[in-house]
Amino acid sequence: MKAFVLCLAATTGLSAAALAHHGWGSYDAANPVTVTGPIVTSKFENPHATVTVKSADKVWTVTLAPTSRMLSRGATAEMVAQGKTISAYGYPSTVEKDEMRAERITADGKTIEMR
Amino acid sequence: MNEAAPHIFVALEGSGLGAAIRQSRYAYMAANVGHVLSLAVFAGAVGIMDTRMAGALRATAPGQVLRLARRFAILGFAGLVLSGAVLFTAEASHVILNPVFQIKLGLIALGLLNVAAFEIFLAPKVRKLKPLTPLPQDVRASGIASLIVWLCVAACGRLIAYF
Repeated sequence: MKAFVLCLAATTGLSAAALAHHGWGSYDAANPVTVTGPIVTSKFENPHATVTVKSADKVWTVTLAPTSRMLSRGATAEMVAQGKTISAYGYPSTVEKDEMRAERITADGKTIEMR
Repeated sequence: MNEAAPHIFVALEGSGLGAAIRQSRYAYMAANVGHVLSLAVFAGAVGIMDTRMAGALRATAPGQVLRLARRFAILGFAGLVLSGAVLFTAEASHVILNPVFQIKLGLIALGLLNVAAFEIFLAPKVRKLKPLTPLPQDVRASGIASLIVWLCVAACGRLIAYF
């Protein structure tokens, strides 16, 4: 029984040693960024669509939303396809270099919420 | 794709099936919904079984509670494995290296070992017991252990996304 309690404690305590992938906790909401530029690569896939965007200084990986949510809000795969220009407002990752999670994007003249 | 993962998981994620799950508008969503519904069925059945084995619901015949709830536990577990496999395939190379997922797999193994030990050694003792009969100490311990393990498994499942 003690072992099980320890397991639970270990699980909840792991946050300190997080090897984060895409946990929503590991983004710096205090320092939002806006990334604007052409889309270099685009993956319109679940669990989240992802694009890489060539901004003035570097290439950002921009994490968007689940594809069904994007589609239901009017953000199609074509709007975020390779070569299109996008502007994404969101929070930079505190774990993965040059990755950000978009709160909203502007593409094809439309602004769409991702959350 | 995380190339640091063992080859089989990189291959699984990169397979046509993996791509199909990621690119479908509904597959991943359906698997997510299926996983939580299966969990509801599994947790309901396990909750009844385990609390009975732990000594609660004394006015019921423990053997009968076990027999009825076990079916739903198996059904729920099958649904969890199936929907979980879909979710896993989509991101296999990442998820396999996730520390919480690894803990979850270990806890599932522990839970299944407890099920096996219970079914082999303890269930026969309970089968014919009448309502209001005190349950043996080892049966009660097994029920409590089972509850704790499966709740930890559920917690790990939700925590995978945050690590």
